Amino acid sequence: MPHFAVHSKEDNVGVAITDIKKGEEVEGVYIDDGSPGPKLIALEDIPLGHKIALKDIKTGERVIKYGRPIGVATKDIKTGEHVHTHNLKSIRWGTLSKR
Amino acid sequence: MVEKLTINGYIRENGSVGVRNHVVVIPVDDLSNTAAMGVAKLIKGVVAIPHPYGRLQFGQDLDLLFHILSGTGANPNVAAAIVIGIEENWANKVADKIAETGKPVEVFPIEGYGDLATIERASRKAKEFVQEASEKQRTSVDLSSLTISIKCGESDTTSGLASNPATGYAVDKLIDYGATVLFGETSELTGAEDIVANRIIDPQLREKFWKIYNEYIKIIESQGVDLLGSQPTEGNIKGGLTTIEEKALGNIQKLGTKPITCVLDYLDPLPKGNSRLCFVNTSSAAAEAVTLFAAKGSVLHLFTTGQGNVVGHPIIPVVKISANPKTVKLMSEHIDVDVSDLLQLKTTLKDAGERIFNYTLRVANGRLTAAEVLQHEEFSPIKLYISA
Repeated sequence: MPHFAVHSKEDNVGVAITDIKKGEEVEGVYIDDGSPGPKLIALEDIPLGHKIALKDIKTGERVIKYGRPIGVATKDIKTGEHVHTHNLKSIRWGTLSKR
Repeated sequence: MVEKLTINGYIRENGSVGVRNHVVVIPVDDLSNTAAMGVAKLIKGVVAIPHPYGRLQFGQDLDLLFHILSGTGANPNVAAAIVIGIEENWANKVADKIAETGKPVEVFPIEGYGDLATIERASRKAKEFVQEASEKQRTSVDLSSLTISIKCGESDTTSGLASNPATGYAVDKLIDYGATVLFGETSELTGAEDIVANRIIDPQLREKFWKIYNEYIKIIESQGVDLLGSQPTEGNIKGGLTTIEEKALGNIQKLGTKPITCVLDYLDPLPKGNSRLCFVNTSSAAAEAVTLFAAKGSVLHLFTTGQGNVVGHPIIPVVKISANPKTVKLMSEHIDVDVSDLLQLKTTLKDAGERIFNYTLRVANGRLTAAEVLQHEEFSPIKLYISA
C-alpha cells in the first residue's frame, strides 16, 4: 500500500496517508488517476495527514499542492523532509499579523 | 440532466419540504431564554433555541438577527413556532415573518406577565402545537424540493484528500436530482477564491461574490491583523494543514463540479428554484455557518471533519463525515459516515460518494444523526458588530 498521496503531478509535496517513520522507504500515489507516484526515503517521522517533500525546495520557493501554491518555503527543504509550519508559510497572510 | 428520486418528507403549508417535524420555542433576546427553556422542560417534543443576543442591536446587525430567528422558525423542519420576547414589538416582527409561511405561530411577551405566567401561557399553546404536529405525516416528495447545506470543520489534510471530494460527488448528484445546495465560509476560501469566482457564470453574480469576499477580508484587516493566528486553527495545524491557501484548496473539494448559480449576502432570502449550488456569505465558525444555512432554509447539513468537530443544530440534522482513520476510531460516536477507506485507497471516490449520498437520503427519510442523538443543538446567530 502507498504511504502518501499526491493531488497533482505538479505538486512538490505529498500527504502521508499512514504514519511514516524516519528512514522508511516510502512510495506515493497520484490520486487523480491512481498511478504510482515517486519513491523516496523519509528523512523524518511524518504523521498521518502531514506533508512530505517530494523534491528539494529552496528558501523562498513556492510549495505546490493541488497544482497551486499553498505558500513559500522559509528554509531549504530536502526531499523526504516534513513540510509544515516550521518551514512553510502563507503567501496571503502573515504580513499584517502581530504574532 | 435532472433525474427523479423521492424521499419521505413533511410538506408545509407553503409547499416547502422538511425532513423533521419540530415545534420550536424562539427567544427573541437573551432575557427570554429562561422562559423558552422552561417551556421546553415542561412540554415533550419542544425545542428551545437559546442564544445570547437580541437587546440593543441596531442596523444590519439587528436585521440579521431577525433574519436568523424568523428564518429558523420558517424553516420547513419546523411544524409550528412559539416566539417569546421581553417586549412584544420585536417578538411580533419575528413571528409575523414566520407566519408568512402559513404555519402556526404564537407570541408571548414577558413584560407585564413575568416568567412563570409566560411559561404557563406558552406551554399551553406549545402542548396544542405538539399534538397537532404529531399528526403530520411524512409523504413521498421529490428530492428536488430539498435544500441541503455543506461545510467542513476541524479540517485536516484528510478532508481535502477524501471526505471533501467524496462529499463533492454527493453534492453533484443531489444537484442532478434537482436539490439546492448551500455553501459559505467566506474567509476560508482565501487561496482558492478565484476558483470559486470562476465557477460563477453570471458576471453580475460574480461581481457580487467579489464584493462580499473583499469586504469580509477588509473587515478582518481593519482590525490591524490578519487571520494567521486563527486560520488555520490549532486543530487544522495538528492535522497537517499549514496555510490558509492549503486549507481553502481542500475546502473547495466538497463543492463538486457544478456551476455556482446564486450568491446570497447575509440578508438575502433564498429564491425559489432547483438544481442549484449557492454561495452564502457566512463566517467559517461551524455553528454560526450551520445556523445561517438553516435560517436560509437548509433542512439537512453535510459536515465533513478531519480532527473531529462535534457540531449539531436544534432543528436540522447534521451528518458528520470523516476520512481520518484515527478520528473515526477515537470519536466514533460522532461520525455518521466513515470514508477512511477512501483515504487508504481501499475504495473509489464514486463508492465513497455514493455512501454519503445514500446516507443523506436515509437521514432525509428520518434516520437520526449522531449529533441529534447526542443532543448537539448549537444555535449561534452571527453578530456583525457591537450593540448600542
